[in-house]
This record gives sequence, structure tokens and C-alpha cells, in this order.
Amino acid sequence: MTGTPADQGVDTRARTGASTENNTSAGTGNSTGSTTGSSAGHHTASSTGSSAGTRKGTGGQGMAPQHDSGQLDAPRAPAGTGGWDARSEGLLNGGAPAPGRIPSAVDEAEPEQSRPEGTESAETESAEEEGVLTGSAVADVEAAFAAVMGTGSPARTAAPSSAPAPSAPAPPPSSPAPVPPAPSAPAAEAGAEAAAEEPAEASAVASTPSGGAEREAPADRPVRRAGARRGAADPVKALIHRHRELCERAVDPLEIAAGLEAHGVTDRAAARFRHRDVFSLAEEMYARVPHHGEGGGAGSAGPPSQGERPGADPHGTPLPGEAGTGPGRDGRPGGRGTAALLLLPLLPGALCAAALLALRTLEGGQARVTAGVVGVVAVALAVRACLRHGPLRGRERSSTSTRAWACWLLGYALLGDGLLDTALRGGPDGLWPPRLAPALGLALAVAPAVWCARLLTVRAQRKLATSRGLEEFAGAVRPLLLGTFTLFLCALLALLGGAGALLGEEAAYAGAGSLGALLLLARLLMAHGRPGAPAVALACAGTVELLALCSVFAGRLPGCTVLALPVESVVTSWGPGAVPALACATAAAALLIRAVPALSRASAHVPPGGPR
Amino acid sequence: MDNRPSDHPPGRIRFIPLRAVDQRRLPIWEIGGVRVRIGLLTEGGYPYVSGDGRLWCDRLVRGLAQHEFDLYALSRTARQEEQGWVPLPPQLHRVRTAPLWTAEGDGTAHGRRARRRFNAHYGELVTAVCSGGEDLEDRFGSALYGLAELARDEGGLVTALRSEAAVRALEAACRAPGALRAAHEARVPDLLAVAGLLERALRPLSLDWYEADCGGVRDGARAGAGWGGLGCVDLCHATSAGAAALPGLLAKHFFGVPLLVTEHSVQLRSHYLAASGETLSAPVRALLAAFHGKLTGEVYRQAALITPGSAHVRRWQERCGADRAKLRTVHPGMEAASFAALGESGENSTAATPDRTDSALPVADPDTLVWVGRIEQSKDLVSLLHAFAEVRKEEPAARLRLIGAVAPGDEAAAYLAQCKALAAQLFPDEADGKHAVGENPVSFDEVGGPDVPELVDAYGAGAVVVLSSVVEGFPVSLVEAMFCGRATVSTDVGAVVEVIGGTGLVVPPRNPRALAEACVALLRDPARRERLGAAARARALELFTVEQNIEAFHSIYLEIVSHYPVRREVMDDEGDPLPFANPVETHVPGHWALSGAAETADAAPGTVPPVPSWAVRDEDVDAVLGAVAGEGAR
Repeated sequence: MTGTPADQGVDTRARTGASTENNTSAGTGNSTGSTTGSSAGHHTASSTGSSAGTRKGTGGQGMAPQHDSGQLDAPRAPAGTGGWDARSEGLLNGGAPAPGRIPSAVDEAEPEQSRPEGTESAETESAEEEGVLTGSAVADVEAAFAAVMGTGSPARTAAPSSAPAPSAPAPPPSSPAPVPPAPSAPAAEAGAEAAAEEPAEASAVASTPSGGAEREAPADRPVRRAGARRGAADPVKALIHRHRELCERAVDPLEIAAGLEAHGVTDRAAARFRHRDVFSLAEEMYARVPHHGEGGGAGSAGPPSQGERPGADPHGTPLPGEAGTGPGRDGRPGGRGTAALLLLPLLPGALCAAALLALRTLEGGQARVTAGVVGVVAVALAVRACLRHGPLRGRERSSTSTRAWACWLLGYALLGDGLLDTALRGGPDGLWPPRLAPALGLALAVAPAVWCARLLTVRAQRKLATSRGLEEFAGAVRPLLLGTFTLFLCALLALLGGAGALLGEEAAYAGAGSLGALLLLARLLMAHGRPGAPAVALACAGTVELLALCSVFAGRLPGCTVLALPVESVVTSWGPGAVPALACATAAAALLIRAVPALSRASAHVPPGGPR
Repeated sequence: MDNRPSDHPPGRIRFIPLRAVDQRRLPIWEIGGVRVRIGLLTEGGYPYVSGDGRLWCDRLVRGLAQHEFDLYALSRTARQEEQGWVPLPPQLHRVRTAPLWTAEGDGTAHGRRARRRFNAHYGELVTAVCSGGEDLEDRFGSALYGLAELARDEGGLVTALRSEAAVRALEAACRAPGALRAAHEARVPDLLAVAGLLERALRPLSLDWYEADCGGVRDGARAGAGWGGLGCVDLCHATSAGAAALPGLLAKHFFGVPLLVTEHSVQLRSHYLAASGETLSAPVRALLAAFHGKLTGEVYRQAALITPGSAHVRRWQERCGADRAKLRTVHPGMEAASFAALGESGENSTAATPDRTDSALPVADPDTLVWVGRIEQSKDLVSLLHAFAEVRKEEPAARLRLIGAVAPGDEAAAYLAQCKALAAQLFPDEADGKHAVGENPVSFDEVGGPDVPELVDAYGAGAVVVLSSVVEGFPVSLVEAMFCGRATVSTDVGAVVEVIGGTGLVVPPRNPRALAEACVALLRDPARRERLGAAARARALELFTVEQNIEAFHSIYLEIVSHYPVRREVMDDEGDPLPFANPVETHVPGHWALSGAAETADAAPGTVPPVPSWAVRDEDVDAVLGAVAGEGAR
């Protein structure tokens, strides 16, 4: 529909368009309306040279100058041979198509034709209207008919007072330029501008609702007289230019249609572009504008995809220098988030160290017990804060049993080895010393855990943005996950060793290390929406430890010595730390096997705060 | 996607018995005055204070007191739910709500067979969505119903729709040959976003509204035990296509309940406009648009009748695949009573007879133009002010009153300030004499202020009502002006031409000169004004009253119920099926909404022409009796 149509084609289309428009404007769907409209349009078309400007808007579309709303194009001769007709001659020769205009460039549609489409009460309504409008309304109806037919009418007499200039098809002064390059406006427009030279013009330009960008500057106007007819070749092109962004963004002709309607383009306006309705106009615009993907990603307005970055490595080898940069996409950018991320994870370790220091320095049982209790509570609160804010935040509330098992595992790391040891020796007789070094090491390891999780999140998000497919993403995330986990493990072992050296205790690398690994993996899985496996793993490890303790005590019952044998043999071979080490390491290994496929899925890395 | 825990308690379905069980009116099946049980389906609509179209639904429910209404409402945002409900009329027997905005991970873990079913159906669905062709509607529909059946059999789909399997199916569909070009470019974040949005759009599938246990309701034996779900209604009335109509689609699929779709604004169009405001990437928007287009097409295809609110909506519906034979335009109804006094008094009668008892009527100044509406950019007041400047050149005595509140938002407030500044610039203050205090010919008022205590006073303040919008849906203020019997000048946007008919002047939008000329023409011609005003009032009273709206829906309900009876098995007190409870005549073969000629043409070749039972020849009696028994037993 963009090509230059043949003569006959133009004529036909003008007529059908006229009848269509008449239908829509009059709101009827019946056949009488359509025939009337068609004949009216035909009539006008045949008498264009003289009366193109004198008709009312209700008539044919092809030359409906008065009807030109400002945002659309002013009438002009079609360029190209196909569209040449008598009206074009008129435009060329006279500049203004016809003198004088009807007082109302208005549609005072006749009641007979203006029935809303398809209402069931159409008949009764028209009867009602005719009943009401008889007599007094006849004058209006007559005027409207006369205007449509282009003949003289009483209505025309009022014309010259309001529009003396022979500028019937003038667009309003505040109209956007159909084609921004200045010298391409119809000559007829000049008359309108002469009439519209008002003091308020500047303010009108400045204060039009759709912004000054689309509006022409007043200074351009005199110049525009010159090349009057140029740019008239393709009115749709001007429209496309005006709505370029809409057209480029659109994924669908209907989207353009919706956008055009939101900008006030009606079917009647579309008829001026020789289209049946807004939909077909939108289809042409959609077909004519290159879309995203064809023209080099004009429409990729989505997440800031760094996909075209040349260094994106499909196998996920981290590029140097991009590790910690950028605020990430979890909605917590900038200062406060960074400070919380850096400082908050240090809090449990610091509190734990302070509590241990207090325990060491304080004298007297009461004070030490108080310090111990306060220290435990403070560290617990700090750990809770770390888990609630930041990258380890769980998507769903973890269940009570999971939390209880985690507390049990930590409590065992603090007290369990000593209890097991004394129990095997026949105790416990009174209190046994807690193992403070693993506690301190684990509290200090909260910080690397949070940072590693953060690293994983940021890098995974980045991979997510650059990946084209799910497999590619999984391949990129798997080594990342393993690398992060190894990093954390190294940090944890170093911290455990340091804490042991500091406190003068034997460092429980195996027990506390495997416990730390287990807890990190569990938390990572929970943070990515997989709470099932961690719950099972924690429960299993806790149950094993509990059973080990119970079996030792049960072995004291008469005849049940055999129950304590496995634990005894393990402890005598490898020491009391072997029990939690075995339990936690097995659970951690199982969890790692589960975590690698689970966390390498894209659905596990949906950024929170994304589309809901 | 946000998977954070929400405070919304899972499975929160409100069930509101509005009366005690023994006090409930039992349904009366009158002859000739059928009581219809209507399931009203809304999305972000009726019972909520901030809902769209709540006034219309409320009037409908109150106006059709002889019918029973069950309300099934989907809420759109948490905020909407917090704001509460409007007072509900007693005709509304049951209200069920469900949130669309929160994702309750219901934790339903499907077994292997259920997962396989899910993968198959979801794969079909996304294939139909991703493929650009138009020929896959039936695949879309069958996949949708397959998912719904799965949800009904196995529990919620929320987890499954967000699973990796869903994303994988989506990826496969996007990469398949023949998929949309935009879909080919989808990256992993786009896939995830689409999967999340599809999950959201398909949430109505997981609701527990699709029950048919209503045997006790009808005979009252087990009344209150469970009022059943959508399986028990005679008719589903969806107030928009899209998410609201999805439960209706499923009710039609599961129970054969006919679906009526009413749209005052096209849901699909709103989707497009909303999507252009968001920062979604092109593939996401393309896939989402394809999904909504397919869903809307399916809704239009399955609906028994579609009632667009205006011809504009009707055009969109036809464009989206609605069958013309199913479309019945029903204009929204508006309260006309408050405008009656003004409308009947005419423009000058109050001034002529000041001693009449109804002296509260405002006096219309014959030189005043009035604009009434909500002040925002799309109303194009700037153009109106420029037009008024032209009017003043012709009619120096003319005044313009802009009456209306500012729309919420900073933009609208800035626009008002801009308009005020422009008015002050264009029109200096004027005084009657040397010693009088001047005032501006353009005044800005709000309804409720001292000058304009009520809305009707706003219309009564002037002789001509002007509408200068560049974008308009259904022009409420124009209809109100018509009720008031005022001559109007409006721009040709939205449904204006359809509403005004021939009873007012219409000019192109953004054309201040044309607007000015029309205004001048009316200001100079009181007789014409009166003529047009009277015609406008008559037209509005004929077409846009609440009564006509309710009457139209009443007849549409009865029409649908008579043509699409829901075939339920009727039980007696012991729970045994009751034979002959459903007479065979209730079944009408063929599509009745088609024109008569087409229907007979369709029906003629296959079926026996209708013959009264006494006219059946002897050898046919056995066959007919067999058919009747079969109908009863079903």
C-alpha cells in the first residue's frame, strides 16, 4: 500500500474511503448510510477544483481539508503521477483551494445518518430523534446537507466574518509540523498563519500540551511558503516520523494502533491517509519502520543487557576487573547497602571475639556466666541480622525445624565434642569446657560467607544478562559456584586456624570446617528458593550427631554395650571431632551435589524485584 | 519475579454469607420470570473502592434485584485490597476474592505424571504463543484447558509455572522454527521475565472456584453446606476480557456455563498502552502481547455474547477476532435524575420565571461557555483557551468557565498552572467601569466550591458546553451535558460522535479555529442552542440512562440463559438422578446468535425438522422416547 497507485486505484480508494468515513462518522452500519456517503464523496471528488474547501468534514475523505486536525497533514497535491487530479491542479494554481468557509468546520451530522452503530434500539431512537427534531431541527439538517453537497447554503453566510482569509484548509497555529524541515508546507497554510498572527502565538508554542519539540518554531513559518508542495508525497511518512519511537518500539501493529489512538488519531484521521481505519494505517506504519533486531537493536530497552560486550566468555571465566564493580541488580545499590554489606558481616565475629575477651578477663562465676550468655545472644542476633539482609536473605521464611537443627549443629560444635569425650570416659562430672576456637572461627567466617554469596549473586546476574540460552548460563555458573565455594572454604579454614592459634586450642578443621561448608550451602540454596534439600541435610547431620551422643549414653545400660561401639571406635581412632566431621561432611557433600545443578538453573537467579 | 514471602495468608478466599442460612431467600423458579444465578467476574474492579467500573457493576447488581449474583473478584494490587470494598447490596449473595498480585508458592510438588502433563500442556501453550501464525488458536485453547484440568486435579500451578521446566519449554518454543522474530532474540532474562509474567497471568487457573457441588443449593436441603463455585451459576458475566474472563472460560469448559463478556475499554489495548510505559525488553513485550492477543481471541471465541460499551470498543473487538454476530453494543448507563430539573427547565426558563418553587436551578448566562471535566493533559485546555481567544474577537462579552478537579499527579497540577498562566496572558482582567474591580473572563472552579456547589450547577452555569479533548474514551461529561439539555461543541475523539449523534457540533481535535467558530455559531443563535439541547437530552435519555443499561442486560441474560441452559444432572432427595428433569426442548442445536437464515441452513441437512410429538409417526415414537430417556438420564 505504499507504492504509487495507478490512477484508477486512487480514485476508487478515495471513493471507498469516503464512504467508509462517512459510515464511521455518521456512526451507522447500514446500507443507506453507506450509499449516501459514497455518492456524497463521489460528488465532491468530481467537483474538487472549486469546492474542495467548502465542504463539511462529513463528506469524502480524500479532500477534506477543513477536517485536517492540526497534528495531521494539511492538504496538498499528491506527488507522483498516480495521485494527480483536478484538485492538485487547483492547489498548484490557486494556492488556496477555495475561498470562504462554512462557519462551522463542524460535523453537525444529520440525525438520519448518525445513529450509533449496532444498537438494538436504533430504530426507536431514530424515531425518537425525528420526533424531537422535526421542525426546528430541519434548518440544521438542511444546512448540513447543503454543506455536504457543496452547494450554497444559509449556513455559509456567516463565514467571512470569522475567516476572511482565503485559507480554508488551514491547520491550527499550534499544529505540529507535518514534516519538520521547514520549506515543505502547503502554500495554503500561509493564509492561516496570517490570520493566526497573534500576540499569544509565542506562548501557544511554548505551552502546547505535547511539548514544544513537535511544534514548529514561529520563525520558520514565512520560509515555509516556498516549497509548498514538496513533502506531500507521502503523508504516512510524516506520521511515521512523528511517531517514530512508537513505531520502532512496537512489537505488533495493534500496539501502534493503540498508541495512535492515544495520540488522538481516529478512523477519520486515518481516512486522510487513505486507510480504512486506524488498524490498517498502523499496519502500514508497522511494515514501513525497521524494528528492533533488524536495525541494530533499537528496541532493546529492557534490562541493561551487556550482551554485546565483546569479552563475554561463554564458559564463564571471569573477566578481570569486573568482580566487585557495580551496584548489582538486587535493588540495593549505593552507599548504605555497600556499608551494610561490608560491615554487618563483621559484626558476629567482632561480638564473639569481644565475648571471649570478656570471658578471659572477667573474674567470678556470675560475671562470666553473664558475659557468656550476653555474648551468645549478641552473636545470635548479629548472625540473624546478617542472614536477613544481604545476599544470604532467604526467599521464603525458613521453617522452624530447619532453624532448630542449625542451632543444634552449632551448639554441638561448641559443646558436643567435650560432652562426647567426657561421656566416653564415664562422665560427665560437672561442667566440661566448651570448644571456643570453632565458635570464634565460625563467627568470623560469616563475613567471607556473605561476601562469597554476594560475589556469586553479582556474577551470576551478570552471566544471566549476557547469556543467550539456558545451557550457556548453566555452563557459566557451574565453575563460578564451585570457585566461590572453594574460596569460602579456604577462608574458613584460615580463620579456624587463626582462631585456634589465638585461643591456644587445637583447631577443629574437619568438624567446624565441614559444618561451615554445610551451613553456607544450605543458606545459598535457601536464598535461591530451594529450601527442601537444606532442611533434609541439616536434619540428617543433626540426627547423626544426636544419635552418636545418645548411643554413648545408651551403651551404659545393661546389655546394650554394643550400641556404643561404633562411636567408641570412631572416637578412639580419630578423636571426638570425627563424629561431627563425618556427619557434616557427608551432608555437605550431598548438598553440594544437589546445589550445583540447582543453582546453575536460571530460574534460581531471578532477580528479586523483577517482574512479579 | 519477586519471591519474597508475603504477608498474604495462603489460600485466602473470603466467603461471606450475608444472611443466616435459614433466612436466605430460596430461589424461586417462576414461570416467565426466570431467576438467573449470575457469576459476576471482575478483575481489579467491582467490590474494591478503587476498582474500575465499580459504579456500573453496582448499578447492575442493584438494578436486577430479581436475579442472584455471585461475585468472583480478582484484586490487582495489595493497595487495592487494603482500601476495602464498597458497600455491597443484598442481591450479592456470595463474594469470593483472590489476589492476582501476590504469588503464594503453594508448595505443591507434582508427581512425575503430573509434571509430564504440565510439560506437555505448557509446551503447547508457549508454542502457540511464540508462533506468529494465526492458525494455532485451538492449540492455545486446548493447552490452556489442559493446564486448568491439571490444576484442578493436582493442585496449584504456581510452582510449576515458575520452575526451570517452564523456562526450558519457553526457550524451546522461542528457538523453534516459525517463532516470532522477537522471540528468537529472547535472552535468558527475557525468558525468565516472560515465564514470571505468564505465571501471573495464569494465576486464575489455580483458584479453587471451579466446583460444581451445588446440588443442595437448589432444593435447599444442604443449603449453606457449600455454595459451590462457578459450576453452579447459570451464566458468567465477565466485566472485561483478559484475566477476569479466564475463570469464565474455565467455567464454560468444565461445566458448559455460558460466558458473557462486557468491555467498556478494550483490555488488550490497555495491555499495549501499559506495556509501553514499562521498561520491558522487546522480546518480553512481544511474547506478552502475543499471549494476551491469543487469550483475548479465545475469550471472544468462547463467549456466548459480547457487549462492547461503544463502537470504538466494538471495532477493537472485531479486530481481535470477535464474531460480529455475537456483538451487542450496550452503552454504559448514567444517573440522569440529578440533571432532570435542569434538563427540563431549558436554558432560559429559570431566568424567565424567577418565582418558581424550584429556585435552586442556576441561571445560565447566555454568553458563557462551560468546560467540565478532570484537568489533565489529554483534555487539551490550551487549545480551548486559544479557541476562546478567537471567540472573544467575535463576541467580546463571552466568558469561559473551566470547572473540574485536577487529576492526581504532579503532571496534571503543572498543567493546570500552565493553563492558568496562559489564560492570564491571553485575557487581561476586565472591569465594567472605571471604578469596578475587574475579573478575568476565564475562571477556574472546582465542583463543591461556593460558585459551583454541585455538578449540575456546573452545566447550568453556561449556555454552551465545550469538550476539547484530544483523547477520550466514553465522554462522561458530554453525556451529562446532554442530560442537562445543553448545546455542546466537542472534538471528534473516542466515542464522541457516536454519543452525540446529530445533537451537537463536532469539530476536529486540536483545531482551535474550528472550535471557536462552532462556539460562536452557537453563542449567536439561542434558538439553535435550544433545539440542539432538547434533541441532545432526548437522545441521552433514550440511550444512556441506567435504566436502558439494566434493561439491556436483563434481556441479554434471559436470552443467554434460554439459549445456553447449563445441563446439570438433577438429583432427588436421596441423591439419585432424577429422570426427565431436563426437558429435551431446552437444547437448541446450532448457534442461535447467527442470523436466522444461516441457522436454518446449518441445521437443515443434519437434523430432523421440529415436529410436535403428537405428529410423530408410530415407528418414530420409540426413537423419540429413547432420546428423552437418554436426556433424562444424563
